Amino acid sequence: MTVSPDTQRARAWTWAITAAGLVVWAALPWFLSRGTIDILVFAGLYTIAGLGVSFLLGQCGIVSLAQSGFYGIGAYAAAYGTTALGLPIPVGIIAGMVVSGAIAAAVGIPVLRLSGHFLALATLALAIIAHVLFLELEWLTGGTLGIGGIPRIALFGFTFSTPFRFYYLVWPCAFALILFYTLLLNSRTGIALRAMRDAPAAAAVAGIPITSLKVRIFVLSAAVGSLAGSLFAHYVSFISVDSFAIDRAISFLLIAVLGGVRSIPGTIAGALFVTAAPNYLSRLGDIHPILFAVALIVAVIFLPGGFGGFVSSTWRRLTAGPRPSATGGP
Amino acid sequence: MGSILEVRDVSHRFGGLQVLKGVSFDVAPGSITGLIGPNGAGKSTLFNIISGFLTPSVGDIVFLGQTTTDRGIAARSRAGLQRTFQTPQVFRDLTVRENLVAGCHMRGRTGVLEAFFGLPNVRREMADARRRADEIIERFDLGPWREIPAGELPAGRQRMVELARAVMCEPKLLCLDEPSSGLSTTEVQTLMETLERLNADGMTVLLVSHDMKLMEVTSMVHALCFGEIIASGSLHAMRESPRVREAYLGT
Repeated sequence: MTVSPDTQRARAWTWAITAAGLVVWAALPWFLSRGTIDILVFAGLYTIAGLGVSFLLGQCGIVSLAQSGFYGIGAYAAAYGTTALGLPIPVGIIAGMVVSGAIAAAVGIPVLRLSGHFLALATLALAIIAHVLFLELEWLTGGTLGIGGIPRIALFGFTFSTPFRFYYLVWPCAFALILFYTLLLNSRTGIALRAMRDAPAAAAVAGIPITSLKVRIFVLSAAVGSLAGSLFAHYVSFISVDSFAIDRAISFLLIAVLGGVRSIPGTIAGALFVTAAPNYLSRLGDIHPILFAVALIVAVIFLPGGFGGFVSSTWRRLTAGPRPSATGGP
Repeated sequence: MGSILEVRDVSHRFGGLQVLKGVSFDVAPGSITGLIGPNGAGKSTLFNIISGFLTPSVGDIVFLGQTTTDRGIAARSRAGLQRTFQTPQVFRDLTVRENLVAGCHMRGRTGVLEAFFGLPNVRREMADARRRADEIIERFDLGPWREIPAGELPAGRQRMVELARAVMCEPKLLCLDEPSSGLSTTEVQTLMETLERLNADGMTVLLVSHDMKLMEVTSMVHALCFGEIIASGSLHAMRESPRVREAYLGT
């Protein structure tokens, strides 16, 4: 297949910018304070959890507020698995992903037949139920007292014990997931997802199993949310129920919307905003929640496609040559 | 083999309104069968029943010898029944080629996880689907618009994209709902040539339309009026039939 010079140029630029971005990413912690690196670590964790929400919303049209529940399941699986059961760290992480996936499948099959507001409410209910269970199942979660002494992740004798070190663990995970979600989007499955978003009736006629595909993507999203929760538990080494409340579910949804639900890498921008903005605004005193709210409203009004949508439309303008007319031709 | 499709004594009512009254007809393999009738005759309802968007109050749809009345839309599609819509339903944000790739989704074997990790079989399958899409794109003269989002095309060309997408999976029966509406005279001519070519390649077509010009490609026509088949035969016989003339042509 031939590739047009425009496409080649766009590809070259994409590679150059990606490479430059990676250099900046790798060098950044050497110049920043511990506190700032800590914020960037959280941005990485939230990018992972937000990716699941963003893909679900952007490609399947499913508003999920349930992600805080799966994030919590991942965290408790890691915490309980390593501290109470003495399991190896990877086993705890995988157990969390399996449990989250199974719950997502069991709940998704009835719930994903709903649409619009009802679906959003159903996922909100799921997050609330999860939060109550985290509080009530004290033998498992430690209730309000939480679970401490969660071991740090170590690879080849290198322990990811500080924000500086964990930065180099969480972000490669986030980058890998961005790559995987991009592969999924460009696969036949991704095309089928976008098809059913555009014209559900025609998608059904094309033989696309709509509900079953939605459930699969929901399960994937839950497993990814659980992974983020497990990494969080191993990073902070102490978790309590406060970390898995409804405001966390809303943060994950905000990340998706701010990042741009149609853009996968945009999730990074959304996560950076949601983690960094409240932190810096809080220096301005008690008015900071209002400023954060104003910043959100401004972002949503001026960037309806999110940060990702803004970047990609600008990018298209800069790289694309004149397009062939839609109406012309033979 | 007998008929590709048998409509057996199908009746349907919406609340108190009886839209179809015991409709029965067959679609013979290799034919282009037409279904004509004035507005409100029940054509669209019947079409939705055949394609699985509606379940009839009474009666059965038999597709390839199997009763499919209660089967879903996607299941019928996998069995080889494809339909188009009166208002073309393209996947607006997808390019023409992606529309066609989505059209033969059911042929894929790879799942979500394999696609997530970008395994080689997923790429192979995608390459195969693209190749097949490109063949169909050439056959339908859609080459110049291959990479353009289908939603940006004018209605006539969207209709061709929809038709090309329906052909992707080599359906056993292609059902077209008013395929000529909104098309110019030359576009209708192209559509007729395309349908004749597809039929020559062995595809069976069911055509619902009130466009008598388009009906010239059919080998058998059933006339539907107020929910009943009032006449069946060649287009010529339909034009001669006093009942059809009275009900449909208004003369």
